[in-house]
Amino acid sequence: MKRARMNLGKTTGRFAKRRIRSAAIAIVLTVVFVLVIAALNQTLNHGSHVSGYVLFVAIVFLALFNLRKKLTFLPMLGTARAWMQLHIYVGLSTFIMFGVHLSWRIPNGQFEMVLAGLYLFVALSGVYGLYITRVLPKRLTNLPEEIIYERIPAFRKRLTLQARELVLSAAETSDVLARFYANRLAAFFEQPRSFSYVIKPSSRQCRQLVSEIQDLDRYLSSSHREVGKELAAIVKQKDDLDYHHAIQGRLKVWLFVHIATTYSLLLFAVLHGIMAHAFGGGLR
Amino acid sequence: MTARIWRRSIPLCQTQVHTDNVAKRAKYMEVLVSDLKTAIQRPKRWDTPLDSEMTDEMVTRLLGVAPFSQMNPESFVKRVPLRGVLKNDCRLLDFEKGDIIIREGDYGHSAFLILEGEALVSLKRLPANILGRQNRKPKGWFRALAQLWENSSVPEARDYENKKTSPLGSRESAAGTRVFLQDIPSVLDMNFTATINEGEIFGEISALTRTPRTATVVANERTMVLEIRWQGFRELMKRDNALRDQVDRLYRQNSLKSHLREIDLLADLTPEQLQVVADHTLFESYGTYDWNREFKSTRKEDISERILQEPLIAKSGEYVNGLVLVRNGFARLSRSHGSGHQTIAYLGKGETFGLRELAHNWRSGEQKPWMLSLRAVGYVDILRIPTEIVESTVLPHMAQDTFPLPIQDPKQPQGERKFQHRQTREAAMDAGLMEFLVENRFINGAQTMMIDLDRCTRCDDCVRACANAHDNNPRFIRHGPKYDHWMIANACMHCLDPVCMIGCPTGAIGRDEESGTVTINDQTCIGCSTCANSCPYSNIRMVDIFDPKGKALVDQNTELPIQKATKCDLCVDQMGGPACQRACPHDALVRIDLSTPTEITAWSADQS
Repeated sequence: MKRARMNLGKTTGRFAKRRIRSAAIAIVLTVVFVLVIAALNQTLNHGSHVSGYVLFVAIVFLALFNLRKKLTFLPMLGTARAWMQLHIYVGLSTFIMFGVHLSWRIPNGQFEMVLAGLYLFVALSGVYGLYITRVLPKRLTNLPEEIIYERIPAFRKRLTLQARELVLSAAETSDVLARFYANRLAAFFEQPRSFSYVIKPSSRQCRQLVSEIQDLDRYLSSSHREVGKELAAIVKQKDDLDYHHAIQGRLKVWLFVHIATTYSLLLFAVLHGIMAHAFGGGLR
Repeated sequence: MTARIWRRSIPLCQTQVHTDNVAKRAKYMEVLVSDLKTAIQRPKRWDTPLDSEMTDEMVTRLLGVAPFSQMNPESFVKRVPLRGVLKNDCRLLDFEKGDIIIREGDYGHSAFLILEGEALVSLKRLPANILGRQNRKPKGWFRALAQLWENSSVPEARDYENKKTSPLGSRESAAGTRVFLQDIPSVLDMNFTATINEGEIFGEISALTRTPRTATVVANERTMVLEIRWQGFRELMKRDNALRDQVDRLYRQNSLKSHLREIDLLADLTPEQLQVVADHTLFESYGTYDWNREFKSTRKEDISERILQEPLIAKSGEYVNGLVLVRNGFARLSRSHGSGHQTIAYLGKGETFGLRELAHNWRSGEQKPWMLSLRAVGYVDILRIPTEIVESTVLPHMAQDTFPLPIQDPKQPQGERKFQHRQTREAAMDAGLMEFLVENRFINGAQTMMIDLDRCTRCDDCVRACANAHDNNPRFIRHGPKYDHWMIANACMHCLDPVCMIGCPTGAIGRDEESGTVTINDQTCIGCSTCANSCPYSNIRMVDIFDPKGKALVDQNTELPIQKATKCDLCVDQMGGPACQRACPHDALVRIDLSTPTEITAWSADQS
């Protein structure tokens, strides 16, 4: 039986080799670009027009990656991973193109300042994205459970109900856990985590709450201690959920911001091109 | 002796008190234990007969029909008598003219005997649509692009108003849904059909070897057929020499030599030598045919317990009685490690076990035993070429450079040459990952969706791409069992042993012989859930369907929602193959063949 098999690499570190190869190609092309622009400038041509157009085409190409993601059913457009590789290396090359286009000076016009700011924001957010897409998945993998982002609110609700039921079942004979829930856990379970947690999630609060539950042991009967242990386990699960929410949310928000600002950048770049031609005499 | 001395030393009255106490305690314990248990009848083989409506009169009538009339009931063991086999492992089926009895490409676990009437077997391959399957081809450019605006906003929308007519009809019968050919002469080329008459058996090789049916059989008139399920048929073969010889002869004639030719080390044998090997080859089956059901119920048991429950094909330390060729299914190579068994590798279809020991013993004159144990994972069919035949016919004709290395150190056992090659691969494969794959039977998957969670950014581009390719309905869930940073997502694995295909009444689920892709024909699926219940990995989902306006489609008689079985189809109608894999920007998702460790080892090396 013939099977469609993947073309998987046979040697160790195919990705490492790909990284070296792509970086080498990007460096060579960037150097060629710098030399061509330098040559144009020396021959008194409008090197800035050429560099501007190349930079604009590069940015349009980078923006097309999002369109490729929507057209998944056209194989002739190539795989997303090939686009991703091009996106990374073309994106990094645009830093040099941008510098060359600006002749390594800070722009002096207000419009140009905004445009340069937008470019830097998009480009640096891209670098940040590259970093977090390499680092954050590993953090998520280290958690005991894998959770789909859209299901997190439902799981949170379920955990909150579980915690409440546990506390209520224990409240018939002792109010220690019920009071603790009302004073310390209700906010943890029922309110969203703080902005600082979303920015830099940590398990500090979870550790503290678990420790406080353990401290209650001396006031609890043996059966209630078991309830306390279960409650602590639910606190840990809730913390894991929050961690998933914060990290997966960051990956999603980053992408949204990166794409949204790219559209603004494109709009400003087009206006900039029109103005450059209108007031700069056009290409020679 | 001690008890007697002890009793003698105690006064009689005290002995009486002691006896009373013991009796009271025993009574108390009895009451206590009875509270903790519920007595039930021990489950027996025939608790669930194939057809509960088989009566003793029917069985008596069957005993008067050949071949049962020629069988000696005395040769059957008391526990499994001939009457019992006929009553519990058989059922009578009525077919009208044109009804499909078995369908080419289907997997089935029964053989059939014609009691009355006749059937036609098509000697020519029939088109997929005739068999109730879809012959799906990749969409063209425009159709592919049109998905952008043509995809429905309603989940699981089906356009029944514009439904195409099928050359197949279906009707309900007492035994379930029957599919029939509307017009036999227009479908079957009468020059390429053979007739099966009363008293003839068919479908037995496919049922016994767990291979797809090789031909379609259609009732040519009102026909009564006896369906004999695999377990019963095997029993009949065991007890009746004539039937066994007939099936054996048929298998040796039709299939065995082609199986043997597929084995590399037999490739250089002359036709005469191959005939000698074929004449002496033994057929053996291990494990449970319905392994998928057992797997679902035992998967929570302790792993070490489960390994010990797996039937042994070869036990380390025992005499090497032949060369084992895996014909179907999977076997686990393991060695004793501490108080448990450690999985070393797994063998799949076409792989061999024992060559290294055989070659070593033949060359050195020593008698090394099996170095490792071989256990059946699920259901395994093997061919065993006896040691004397290997030594007289196979080894003398093997090229010197193809010989496996001699066994150097029995404390560090290696398998045969092929296995030695695997050994180097497995050395690179994480031992825990191997256990995970074998334990969860993921080694059955030929196109398993595997995700490297260390690279996956959970962006769900794969899910969106899948939905785009399937009318906005994703056909997998990006979730599933995980080991370390590997996840096996809930997506159809297009298994080598597709148990989901057993029992589909309309043949809606089928496998493409070329690509191995298992697909469901939505038009002929009747929503019976047989495939979804059979899938050991829960990768087939039953969904309620809607019309394009979003109205639920319900049965006009019962008002119950109509369901369809859905699953990953590897994007057979898309130009670029599986959209999920193409859509992953981070090299985190692959469709991978886990039936051999080659691809997974290469991929994990890439990821490192």
